[in-house]
Amino acid sequence: MKISTKGWLTTTTLLASIGVIAGMIAWANQEVEDATRARRQMTELARGLTELKLVHFEYILHHRASARQRESEMAGRLDRLIAPELFAGAEQRKTLARLRERRATTHSLFEELLSAPAADDINNLVGESIRRAESQLSSRLLVLQHDSLADAFALSDFSNDRIVAAQQQVMHVTLAGLALIALSAGAAAWLINRNVLAPIGRLKQATREVAARNWNYTLGIVSNDEVGELSRTFDAMTLSLRTAFAQIERSNQELAALNQEIEAFSYSVSHDLRTPLRSMDGFSLALLEDYGDKLDDEAKDSLQRIRAASQRMGRLIDELLGLSRVTRAELKLQSVNLSEMTREIADALRQQEPQRAVEWLMEDGMKVYADKALMHIVMQNLLENAWKFTGKTDKAVIRVGVLQQGGEKEFFVADNGVGFDMAYADRLFGAFQRLHHESEFPGTGIGLAIVQRIFRRHEGRVRVQAQPGLGATFFFRLKEPVHV
Amino acid sequence: MSDANRVILLVEDNPDDVTLTLRAFKRSHVMNPIAVARDGIEALDFLFARGAYAERAGTPLPTLVILDLKLPKLDGLGVLKGIRADERTRLLPVVILTSSKEDQDLIAGYSLGANSYVRKPVDFAEFVEAVKVLGIYWLMTNQGPPPRAAS
Repeated sequence: MKISTKGWLTTTTLLASIGVIAGMIAWANQEVEDATRARRQMTELARGLTELKLVHFEYILHHRASARQRESEMAGRLDRLIAPELFAGAEQRKTLARLRERRATTHSLFEELLSAPAADDINNLVGESIRRAESQLSSRLLVLQHDSLADAFALSDFSNDRIVAAQQQVMHVTLAGLALIALSAGAAAWLINRNVLAPIGRLKQATREVAARNWNYTLGIVSNDEVGELSRTFDAMTLSLRTAFAQIERSNQELAALNQEIEAFSYSVSHDLRTPLRSMDGFSLALLEDYGDKLDDEAKDSLQRIRAASQRMGRLIDELLGLSRVTRAELKLQSVNLSEMTREIADALRQQEPQRAVEWLMEDGMKVYADKALMHIVMQNLLENAWKFTGKTDKAVIRVGVLQQGGEKEFFVADNGVGFDMAYADRLFGAFQRLHHESEFPGTGIGLAIVQRIFRRHEGRVRVQAQPGLGATFFFRLKEPVHV
Repeated sequence: MSDANRVILLVEDNPDDVTLTLRAFKRSHVMNPIAVARDGIEALDFLFARGAYAERAGTPLPTLVILDLKLPKLDGLGVLKGIRADERTRLLPVVILTSSKEDQDLIAGYSLGANSYVRKPVDFAEFVEAVKVLGIYWLMTNQGPPPRAAS
């Protein structure tokens, strides 16, 4: 059974108990009210009967004519009191009917008494018989009244008993209801503990285990309720996490193995690939030096070309290794003062070619959060490019600054050099891709590949805008540091 | 230009590199006799007068060891470790002369007690220049450790 069903049942039981108690109280109220009214009426009746008895006595003693008037008033009042059906029980109804009957008899007896001639006015013998009849009537009257009084009291007592019974019944039902409520509350507490709190405790333990990367931990709660459902979902989640992490683990291992291979490859390239080049260059030079006088110009030129090619290949290997080193280097992120770095590189470039007049426009206080060594390689490449490609420009200007782009900082290095056609822009960042002839602007074409790889490693971005003859601008963004 | 008795030990397996290094020494007028060891084991045998070099027992140690890193049998770092581990050669000047400038080689070389690390340039003119500077510094400018009384 589901917890919600159990909860619903408990709540219904509680509400039903409360409803029964409330109904019981309402019923008892009505019962007590009815009984009280009946009792009040019976008490009134008893009082009326007593008063009527006095009226009869008075008449019997004094024969006053005013008694008729008073009797009739009293009789009306008493008739009204006994007229309604105040009782449900058959016996009580019978008693009441008896009372009514007696009332009628009493009334007719009194009428009879009233209509009898005054005994004093008649001769002794007749008077004597009248007096006897009168006294007979009177005693019958008294007996009847006494019986009625007794009935009235009996009915009043019955009403009292009814009140007491109602009160007792209310007490019993209330006690039973309260017991039921207590039982339901107890059951609910027990259910909550067994079906909710205990499993939540296990769930808590399970989340701890999973947080500690114990992917094999399963809850295995088999109950058919919401907690069971949660447990199954949780176990399914753990399973998919386990699978996902195993996959990541495998990928990581593959990646590590691959990295190791690259490392070994680079090491081998670094040692072995340059050695033959050195031989080519060295022995060409030896030929030139030792047999120069025996070689014609064409032979010497060929040897020079061998040397140049060897040296160029040496440089290419070095730069490839540089590119690979950028990929392998561990990132040490820190705040880097880009303005200062730019100034240092600019100074070095000016010293290399003091004859060139290049205007540098540099923004102050530019800071990025990056690996300092790699950022230096980036700026070195971008600024060297700007320097190189403004080599044939009058009034060369190199600008380094920062723009705010949608809440993000975008840095730029702009020159007004030869620029290039944007149609070739996507080739620009590939290794050994060049947009100019080496004779025009020397270089291996690896610099921007390195730059792009460095930005990729920083999860940053670099883009370029250029126009032939008007210059090129390199824009780049880096992630802002996350302050914890 | 320097004492003919002060031997330089060149540890280098590639015959081209041996020829070129010797040529570079010659061109930079380094006159010291040069012994060549073609692998790491041979280098240590030479230094400790073992095996094929047993007859060297009693002769002074070389003034300078020029060590390549990639060598057959025992690599340059292993040779360096052997040199630094032995009381007799602990202070011997060792210059690493190799193709690589990988960080791991530089760090390992200096950690094991190399005195200098020189990268062989591809350009032979630059190579000659490097060897010249190296010779001037280590054979003339630098004061080596005092010769050991024991050996």
